Amino acid sequence: MIRSNSEALIRKIMATFVDKELIPRAQEIDEKGEFPMEMFQEIGKMRVFGIRYPKKGGGSGGNTTLYCIICEELARGLMSVAAVTAMQCLMGTNFLFHFGTDALRETYFLPAMGGEKIACFCLTEAEAGSDLGNVSTSAIRTKDGYLLNGMKSWVTNGPVADFYTILCQTDPAKKFKGLNFFFVPRETPGLSIGKPFDLLGTRTTPISELALTDVHIPCEHMLGQEGRGMSNLLSILAEIRAMTAALAIGLQQAALDDSIRYAHERAQFGSTISNYQLIQAKVANMATDLEASRLLTYKATHMVDEKIPCLKEASMAKYFSTEAACRAGDEITRIFGAYAYSMEYSAQRYYRDNRFLLYGGGTHEILQPNIARWVGL
Amino acid sequence: MDIIVLVKQVPDTTEVKLDPKTGNLIREGVESIINPDDLHALEAAVDLQETHGGKVTALSMGPPQAIDAISEALGMGVHEGILLTDKAFGGADTWATSFTLGKAIEKIEEYDLILCGRQAIDGDTAQIGPQVADYLNIPQVSYVCEIETIEEDALVAKTRLEDGFERIHCGLPALLTVIGELNTPRYPLMGRALDACKEKAPIKVWNAADIGVQTSQVGLEGSLTHVIKTFAPKFKRETEMLEGDTREMVGDLMGRLKENRLI
Ligand SMILES: Cc1cc2nc3c(=O)[nH]c(=O)nc-3n(C[C@H](O)[C@H](O)[C@H](O)COP(=O)(O)OP(=O)(O)OC[C@H]3O[C@@H](n4cnc5c(N)ncnc54)[C@H](O)[C@@H]3O)c2cc1C
Ligand SMILES: Cc1cc2nc3c(=O)[nH]c(=O)nc-3n(C[C@H](O)[C@H](O)[C@H](O)COP(=O)(O)OP(=O)(O)OC[C@H]3O[C@@H](n4cnc5c(N)ncnc54)[C@H](O)[C@@H]3O)c2cc1C
Repeated sequence: MIRSNSEALIRKIMATFVDKELIPRAQEIDEKGEFPMEMFQEIGKMRVFGIRYPKKGGGSGGNTTLYCIICEELARGLMSVAAVTAMQCLMGTNFLFHFGTDALRETYFLPAMGGEKIACFCLTEAEAGSDLGNVSTSAIRTKDGYLLNGMKSWVTNGPVADFYTILCQTDPAKKFKGLNFFFVPRETPGLSIGKPFDLLGTRTTPISELALTDVHIPCEHMLGQEGRGMSNLLSILAEIRAMTAALAIGLQQAALDDSIRYAHERAQFGSTISNYQLIQAKVANMATDLEASRLLTYKATHMVDEKIPCLKEASMAKYFSTEAACRAGDEITRIFGAYAYSMEYSAQRYYRDNRFLLYGGGTHEILQPNIARWVGL
Repeated sequence: MDIIVLVKQVPDTTEVKLDPKTGNLIREGVESIINPDDLHALEAAVDLQETHGGKVTALSMGPPQAIDAISEALGMGVHEGILLTDKAFGGADTWATSFTLGKAIEKIEEYDLILCGRQAIDGDTAQIGPQVADYLNIPQVSYVCEIETIEEDALVAKTRLEDGFERIHCGLPALLTVIGELNTPRYPLMGRALDACKEKAPIKVWNAADIGVQTSQVGLEGSLTHVIKTFAPKFKRETEMLEGDTREMVGDLMGRLKENRLI
């Protein structure tokens, strides 16, 4: 039976899209600093956003490995486009898909799969970053629903989203067991969206605060069984970390490709700089980091797909791959010499965009002690 | 409207390098892609099908890995893929290729229209389309840049000539070779592409026996022409700097481009 390998085929399709459509426009999109709506919709048309959902639910029938391959390829083109795609495929729509009513899925999930509605995910608050137990946005039971009050921060896509999945505390006495997710459409009265933050990297991914003042929503907008918010979040944590690792791989690949190209072109002291061992060392380190990142990351994604617990593997992948992306962003700014310091070249973007990977999905200061504990410390 | 699209998998020549010693293409590590003109043929077929109904079949001759071209075509919305693959098909010239494709089309039997790209970027002959039409004894229109109207038994196509256009009325079934101006190809849909990878995908794989040909009629053996040597042409480049102000230089440049029939 001759058939295409699905991972290779999806990578090829996305790589073609990235080379033809995204890379030529990356600099322009980044400079403009606006949500890349046109690109988002093109990606939606290809039904990318449904890659990790089953076909019968309105998805494309893929899996986590394919999702990560797509994230990686898009990040090779432009991190911010990859970031909004990653959000739309996973965190922004996951709880709606699994726990939303048919009516909500019909109105919000299905259009989101085609790129007609934009999703986002709201955990972080001023006093609750790494420490989600401290979430204080409250959801108080009323006779016909919930009343939400509080303030979320660092909401990726916040300014442009059509619906919000929001982590709230229903009973502070219960601590983690009181944390639950709620679905809030943009047009709900009492929801107000802050102005976009001025960001260091991924400048076209708008991020804002979100204020909830007496936001009233019906009971069926609680996504998931009461008390299971954190465990439901935990069930996709490995996937979030593997996805972040995949984004980091894309950035490493882009930095490596551009470094090799530049080193072949740039001549100093009568020879292209590719012939100097110190440049070769940088390229060799970047390539080795990249290879190791791939092995760690896709090992984790295959475990996710086979439903083997892999929070340790995914955390290692996120940690290693992101640090490697930060190193790659640093090395390319050396290889490019002064041109890295100019906004006209790509190097500066990799240098800024790699920071995006550090925080979401767990900072490394949080991951490291966990990894140490998992290996027996 | 049943449409057959001829699809070739080619090395992505934007990446291809020539071996400086032998002049041969270095194919290792080079991605294979659907021949760019064929993407326009696929787009046209799927687009026509969406308005007129019927079935679209993608037909490709190539090594087993050409299955990816079929899968991508299915991703774009083609209903069925047929891969002609057999060691005996290897080394075919355009005559043997057209014969093999023609035989497969005869086996498919039902069709109103055959679409193919103008030419493949690896061979650049532009012969396959016309030769297949000739083998099947159906009308052909080449260099199509617009399909203006299409009815049950005839179409009107606009073709690009060196110095203008031609509008051609043609009975069906017919074969058209198309150029890039025709349309903008869509990207494959994820779900469809994934379905194409499954065992139950609507893909047939045919060998020489399946299409009823002798190995002596196809591939290298069945070829009438043989490539003796491939080499990179040696350009003797001469750079000339134009002088004067911008207006003069542009005028000068335009004059020379026209003189050399480049525009
Ligand atoms: C670009 C971007 C997009 C984002 N998008 C979203 C989004 O869509 N939705 C959302 O909810 N959030 C989002 N966030 C927020 C992100 O999830 C938080 O930044 C992250 O959880 C870390 O929280 P913090 O920034 O408040 O850092 P803090 O938790 O305040 O950490 C500050 C420093 O202290 C360290 N630290 C904290 N606790 C410990 C400890 N116990 N041991 C050792 N060190 C510790 C951290 O590692 C870090 O170095 C986004 C952030 C960024 C930068
Ligand atoms: C902010 C800024 C301000 C500046 N201001 C001035 C100014 O006022 N006046 C001025 O004249 N210039 C200025 N410069 C230019 C600066 O002096 C050059 O950037 C510097 O000399 C390096 O040259 P380059 O950038 O062309 O890098 P390149 O020389 O092209 O180096 C590219 C890479 O190759 C490596 N490399 C080069 N040769 C070798 C070798 N033999 N062995 C190993 N590795 C090698 C380099 O280390 C680097 O990693 C400025 C640059 C910046 C960024």
